Amino acid sequence: MSEQTGTPLSALATVGHATPRIDALERVTGRATYTADVVLPGMLFARALRSPHPHARIRRIDTARAEALPGVRAVITHENGAVWWGAGSIAGGGQYNDELKQITKQRRYTFNNPVRFVGEPVAAVAAVNRHVAEEALRLITVDYEVLPFVIDPEEALEPSAVKIWPEGNLALNTRNEAQPNAVRRGSLDEGFGAADEVFENRFTTAFVHNAQMEPRASVAHWEGDKLTVYTPTGGISNCRHDIARDLGIADENVRVVCQYMGGNFGNKNQNQDADLIAATLARKAGAPVRLELSRKEDWLGMHGRWHTIQRYKVGVKKDGTITAIQSRAISGMGGYRKNSGGVSGLELYECPNVESTTYPVYTNRTSSGNNRGPSDPQGFFGIESMMDEIAHKLKMDPVEFALKNMRKPSAQLQYTNYSLDECIRRGAELFDWKRRWRPTPGSDVGPVKRGAGMSFMAFRAGLGRSSAMLRIDARRRYTLFVGVTDVGGGAKTTMGMIAAEELGVPLSQVDVVSGDTDRCPYSVGESGSRTTIMTGYAVVEAARDLKRQIAEHGIPAGNDVLTASATPNPNSGGKVRSCFGAHFVEAEVDTELGAVRITKYVAVHESGRIMNPLTARDQIRGAALQGIGQALREDLLYDRRNGQPLNAGYYGARHMTHLGAADIEVTFIEVDDGFGPYGAKTIGESGIILGPAAVANAVSNAIGRRITDIPIARDRIMGALA
Amino acid sequence: MKTFVNANARDFKEAATLARQAARDGKSAAFSGGGSDLLGLIKEGIAAPDVVVNLRSVRNAQRVQDASGGLTIGGLTTLDDLSRDGAVRQRFAVLAEAAETVATPQIRNVATVAGNVCQRPWCWYYRNGFPCFKAGGRTCFSPTGENQFHAIFGGGPSYIVHPSDLAPAFVALDATFRIAGPSGERTLPAADFFVLPRENAARENVLANDEVLTAVQVPAIARDTRTTYNKIMDREAWTHAVVSAAVVLQMDQGVCRAARIVLGGVAPIPWRLPQVERLLAGQRITAELAARAGEVAVEGAMPLPKNRYKVPLVQSLVKRTVLDLATRT
Ligand SMILES: Cc1cc2nc3c(=O)[nH]c(=O)nc-3n(C[C@H](O)[C@H](O)[C@H](O)COP(=O)(O)OP(=O)(O)OC[C@H]3O[C@@H](n4cnc5c(N)ncnc54)[C@H](O)[C@@H]3O)c2cc1C
Repeated sequence: MSEQTGTPLSALATVGHATPRIDALERVTGRATYTADVVLPGMLFARALRSPHPHARIRRIDTARAEALPGVRAVITHENGAVWWGAGSIAGGGQYNDELKQITKQRRYTFNNPVRFVGEPVAAVAAVNRHVAEEALRLITVDYEVLPFVIDPEEALEPSAVKIWPEGNLALNTRNEAQPNAVRRGSLDEGFGAADEVFENRFTTAFVHNAQMEPRASVAHWEGDKLTVYTPTGGISNCRHDIARDLGIADENVRVVCQYMGGNFGNKNQNQDADLIAATLARKAGAPVRLELSRKEDWLGMHGRWHTIQRYKVGVKKDGTITAIQSRAISGMGGYRKNSGGVSGLELYECPNVESTTYPVYTNRTSSGNNRGPSDPQGFFGIESMMDEIAHKLKMDPVEFALKNMRKPSAQLQYTNYSLDECIRRGAELFDWKRRWRPTPGSDVGPVKRGAGMSFMAFRAGLGRSSAMLRIDARRRYTLFVGVTDVGGGAKTTMGMIAAEELGVPLSQVDVVSGDTDRCPYSVGESGSRTTIMTGYAVVEAARDLKRQIAEHGIPAGNDVLTASATPNPNSGGKVRSCFGAHFVEAEVDTELGAVRITKYVAVHESGRIMNPLTARDQIRGAALQGIGQALREDLLYDRRNGQPLNAGYYGARHMTHLGAADIEVTFIEVDDGFGPYGAKTIGESGIILGPAAVANAVSNAIGRRITDIPIARDRIMGALA
Repeated sequence: MKTFVNANARDFKEAATLARQAARDGKSAAFSGGGSDLLGLIKEGIAAPDVVVNLRSVRNAQRVQDASGGLTIGGLTTLDDLSRDGAVRQRFAVLAEAAETVATPQIRNVATVAGNVCQRPWCWYYRNGFPCFKAGGRTCFSPTGENQFHAIFGGGPSYIVHPSDLAPAFVALDATFRIAGPSGERTLPAADFFVLPRENAARENVLANDEVLTAVQVPAIARDTRTTYNKIMDREAWTHAVVSAAVVLQMDQGVCRAARIVLGGVAPIPWRLPQVERLLAGQRITAELAARAGEVAVEGAMPLPKNRYKVPLVQSLVKRTVLDLATRT
């Protein structure tokens, strides 16, 4: 066992106990007001017209007939309503900020000319009801000059490919250079020279939509210079700042409200073009406007996980020591750069000689962007499939190979605590790895074969700045003000639990006010799995302050209140803070039907202290199921001749239903590393990272053929076995 | 979505007359049973009828009736009612099983038998608004495009597969379809109801624009007959068949007297396998014979570049379904 493992946990009063969400009743009884339920007096209804072409220049757009339709109040296009949407295309694709917006040359507006993908907004209409708005869309005529397009990112990199941006199809970095992202360490020549064997392979992963249940909607309302936007967002503070920046108004003139939302998975971070379009229409029409997207519009108009092509070359010694890794990855970003296009996973292997190059490439497909662990499941699928294959070739058990080669703490790399080895060992034991894994892949007799696969991960759980406010009144009711939204992880409840814990009162004594920038202080936002760590820690500090005040002044009397606030910005003293996990999967493949069934799935995670076992377990289950879906089913297919997407939506993309959900057995190793609120680390995204690799490894172990492309759909299995 | 006029029909004849009247006025009409398919098409702008003739106002067409050992199934019977009907479950398992596999409980609660049989293709080109044969155009996009789910039998010039799960079951049961027009009724064997694209690439069946499917009659089947529906799906619910098989076997102490086998998901119509039926008739069904049935089932298959996997899939499906049904105790 590693000596860096943190201390065992002491029991707490509220934190750590299975607690139903504080707003569960509203949600399941239909009383919760989601954005699409918001109705304001005099509100108009808006719909967007979208490009039917993958790449086209708009010669002329005629809205006269739409404007003349009775009931239409505003029509906007790239000519009279385009707003520069900073988060829609970011140089380098990194964490978006003011400076990056100014650097970005390849800019996205709410309406663009040329249009760069099927589903890109071309115009929007606000009208007295949805039917009039839709009728008006049909009356807009757009004269397109259809341009050549490119769907395949490898083709897009060829010199002869049509240029989607004047600078070419390799997306620009933060210095506005068309250069791939490269990481180099040591010497490949030496590394491969020292190897006994060198392996190479190519893997591909598909575009998968976040598929959050709630499609996008946005309600915008101007009162004088003040704009209120009701919108589903994973981060009201960031969303407010983004909207203000894009509209060129002050932050305090924007209020963002999100009381309930139907899922995020990274699809709703920052602001979205829908917010800006609704705001523009509302200003023009002089009335509140609700813009809604259909499921198909949401699928094509927003974004999903970037698809990748990954090539690896790995040198190993006979004893399984890795001597060199070279990787070259291409990520399809669609027409705009909403995120990095990174392909992660390599960093988890101990290897002195590494060269990794990633090309974020523009294509005329739907944009790629943030999706739960943006660069992780696809990268881990590639590298951990590669390593699984090497272990097999070397006749080594993949678990032993992982334990040997995984990144470990060192003098240069210190962790606040480290438990990856423990996650792997515990998982192997719970899963009964030795019995389920087939030393000879595909060796089961008969058409129905089983096999086992595993995968492991570490995911940052860094500390950072956020804020919280707390109040107590004479009735001893506590009100917690936190700028969080519940994207699915249960943030409202977790924040309330932390306050209750630190104050030493039951959760029922704490009211949580959240999801409103005018009422709540800044919060980091529900992206990067950081709300519990960062805002949760601010809650701890605010509660401590309030306790001090109560100790000093006593419980307030009459109409008096005591208030406390905190904006801590802690750090982990130069140490790396990570959560860790390992997944073990048994797959049963009916080789005659090309069907895969997951017969056992063990997920072991160390995420520090578990704040609410109920939501924590379900976060891992949900994420693991998304990973299985990514491994076996989901894709967005395009017709290459005309650049049209064919299977947008739940039906076509074959998203799993409850009937298909495997039983995910979740085990948490709980430790306290002394950081974060009570030692809590991150969970939300971490659970999705391992599924694709573990499932693919299990299928390969079952059938004795390495499948290098996900989703491993029926046609691929039958094709591999034919 | 284009605005339309709703017209409630009191009976099927009136429904047909309303459709004819609309055509005379230069308008397009569409019948709506549960509307679970039609309304989706209208919302997506793929269908744009001026008049929607609502059939739910037709009375006495929502029941399954016993008819001298057979069944008369009203065209407006919901799939949920069909799958729960006692007589259907007992004697015509293939039908109950087929109905149960359709879509989701929500859809089965509104979807009607006639609407299921008459649903438009689910080919992604058609459903995404491509101007294909099914949308009145002059081409099929699938043979040189994405054809993973398209026909391996009977294709050309359109390569859709017929989407209905009930259709193969009805053909396997040798059912009769009752049709009403403005000027009278006609009946047809289920197998003659469906048309191949080479006969009419724009439609999937013989109905004229002003004809409605009113009922399906299922004849009594001999004692010792067993039936089943086996559907391969890419997820556990809420999706059409990748391929499916409706199998009816009349067994006599392990020997097959007669067989009817009809595939779904492989052709633009329910695809009957007479050569397999002949192979099985009069034979004891062994593992070897079932395997042979699978081989014969795919003779003459003409897969497209991306649906070759359907050939071994159908082979396994037929082999397993026949053997399982014959050896079931
Ligand atoms: C997500 C999804 C999954 C699905 N999966 C399956 C599946 O697995 N298996 C399957 O079989 N189906 C499936 N379906 C299709 C579904 O079964 C059909 O939508 C339904 O059966 C249609 O019945 P309805 O009464 O609602 O028809 P409607 O929508 O009312 O009509 C369908 C079509 O038939 C015509 N029509 C209706 N009634 C008559 C009549 N009496 N005479 C002549 N024409 C008529 C209509 O004009 C229309 O063109 C699925 C649908 C969806 C949306």
